[in-house]
Amino acid sequence: MKNSWLINNTFHYSDFTDIQRLIAIKKKKNLTISLCLPTLNEEKTIAKEIIIMKSELMTRNPLLDEIVVIDSGSTDNTVEVAKAFGADVYDADEILPNFEKFKGKGENLWKSLFVTKGDIIVYLDADIKNIHHRFAYGLVGPLLLNDNIKYAKAFYDRPIAIGKNKIRPTGGGRVTELVIRPLFSLFFPDLTQIIQPLSGEYAGYREIFDKIPFPIGYGIETSMILDICEKWGLDVIAQVDLERRVHRNQNTKALGKMSFVILKTFLNRIKKLEFIDLKKDTFDEMIQYNLVKNEFQPDIFNVDGLERPPMIEISEYRKKFKIKK
Amino acid sequence: MDNYIDQLPSFIEAIASIKETIITNIVLMGQVPSPTFKEKKRGQVFLDRLAELQVDECTTDGYRNPIGVIRGTSGTQPPIFVVAHLDTFFGTDIDHNFKIDKNLITGPGITDNSVGVGVLVSLPEIFRLLNLRFESDIVIAGVIQSIGKGNLRGIRHLIKTWSTPIRGAVCIEGAELGRLSYYSDGMIRCEVHCNISTIDGWEQKFRPNAILVLNEIINRIMELRLPQRPRCRVIIGKVSGGFKHGVIPYDGILGFEIQGVSDKMVKSVYKDIKDLVAGISHEFEVDLDLRTIGNLSAARLKYNHPLVKSAFAVMEKLELKPISSPSESELSIFLAKKIPAVTLGITHGEDYHHPYAHIEIEPIFTGITQIIGVLMAIDRGACDEE
Repeated sequence: MKNSWLINNTFHYSDFTDIQRLIAIKKKKNLTISLCLPTLNEEKTIAKEIIIMKSELMTRNPLLDEIVVIDSGSTDNTVEVAKAFGADVYDADEILPNFEKFKGKGENLWKSLFVTKGDIIVYLDADIKNIHHRFAYGLVGPLLLNDNIKYAKAFYDRPIAIGKNKIRPTGGGRVTELVIRPLFSLFFPDLTQIIQPLSGEYAGYREIFDKIPFPIGYGIETSMILDICEKWGLDVIAQVDLERRVHRNQNTKALGKMSFVILKTFLNRIKKLEFIDLKKDTFDEMIQYNLVKNEFQPDIFNVDGLERPPMIEISEYRKKFKIKK
Repeated sequence: MDNYIDQLPSFIEAIASIKETIITNIVLMGQVPSPTFKEKKRGQVFLDRLAELQVDECTTDGYRNPIGVIRGTSGTQPPIFVVAHLDTFFGTDIDHNFKIDKNLITGPGITDNSVGVGVLVSLPEIFRLLNLRFESDIVIAGVIQSIGKGNLRGIRHLIKTWSTPIRGAVCIEGAELGRLSYYSDGMIRCEVHCNISTIDGWEQKFRPNAILVLNEIINRIMELRLPQRPRCRVIIGKVSGGFKHGVIPYDGILGFEIQGVSDKMVKSVYKDIKDLVAGISHEFEVDLDLRTIGNLSAARLKYNHPLVKSAFAVMEKLELKPISSPSESELSIFLAKKIPAVTLGITHGEDYHHPYAHIEIEPIFTGITQIIGVLMAIDRGACDEE
């Protein structure tokens, strides 16, 4: 493994703090940029993300052209709050309504390609407690300043919010270290240079996103890296240190489910690439056990590994964006 | 004076049009933990924001108070100060990330005083938006080491070392909107540290109980006869000590303030308390250490001072009901130096000193307008009378 990628394609957000320069390059290249926030019950954090991005990267510095929220059917005030602060809010089910409806982050991101207008799309998770506009301009920076880079992914220090308003200084990234990094080491050692492959914050050109399939759930981050690498090579990817991201802590069982989905996505990819030849299909159920009244009861989580095809293959999309087949 | 007061109501809507920027400043400032004596990071963010907003001069004074100066048109008028304290009551281990709802911001320290600091750094943008120019330089100062043991060191240093006369000042506090403070009481802030030696051979069951000793001090303070005129009071504000339910505590701290309109009376009560603490130390054979951690002199503007009258007029125009109370804050330092000043609140808030303190967003725009109104009054001479 050569680690030149780690040296050449790793940036720090402070490399891009001259936002006026980014705006000038954006204008020169005649580009538009969309920020997309996929949501499901994010009323605690969504307003802050919209307000800060709108103030710093739209009103004061016109780097972003739109902020779009794609909601998976929140039952709290996410939609109401997002609308109140001026984001364009879409119900995922109402985008491309003739298609079968699914719930999941990947589904929201895929559908966002249909409703956003930008040549560059920035995806940020909507649960970032310490949101700052560096999360957006830091990811856009490498794309605007380097012609060869088409996709930029975040990494950071990850304090975990614990209990009553307290935070623990370091932690998190357990699925990365226990699942993804061992898998990358086994099959794609070059990809181990990506510090946080599962980070939910990334930006890229539409021309990249609309040519790759999107798993509907948690597997989206893994598949995106594998597919972009396979099609265009590792050198089109950059990673950016955003320093610190405070997130909600998830329990081990939730991480187990996440790992199951990621493993399934990964197996599908390496099967397709003929790294392995499975003699039997894998199962779709993650089975965990809970102790209830001295009895172990199974808790079954079903994942059928569905993926949306590349958006460019959807006729409605080609029509809307006037793309010839 | 011109009819600047009549313009004020129209400012509210204009200021609300950049509410995202104002809220962003409140959040970016407030999410940086800033306990007293550890304000460096918040001070840096404060300066960075002022620089981003293209304030003419951004610097720190010799005490590391971050300051921005917006140059005035006259070149000869003394500067007007606008200040808010940067420190809060919450430690660095507390999650400072705020939550925003449609009309609320919630989080530790939001009321005291992150909203004040956020508004302070928003002022340059608001002046630009409203196309306001002042004759005087406007000095925007986030002062450090203000609350508790900080004892207003930041503002004391800033004023003491400022090289020119100061025309007047506005101190910003998060809450409550409608507050108009133009006088401060005399104050002595104290702590009594009770320490019971663990190495003098006492068996644990006979050891004096530090909390009970402090309780005795509280009882004796309560027995003091305090005068109605000049008004004077003792506030028992903090008690700490002990380890667990079944162990006799061998140390404890009692924090209190003596407040009054007469410095002489405050000192007299302090002397009484000093004597009674010494007496209890002797009676209980324990070490009691009475420490003074802060003090202020009583000072005031008269009710008919032009600045006070102007502030009342501004608030009346904005349909705010002024509520006057003493302020033991930056105000007292300005007044003690004979610099006319008032303290104003920005918005409505609740649970000021809890981690889940919250403030209302909508009234902020009126709160900012009143600050601008008072600054305009000062710039038109409300503090220039000898």
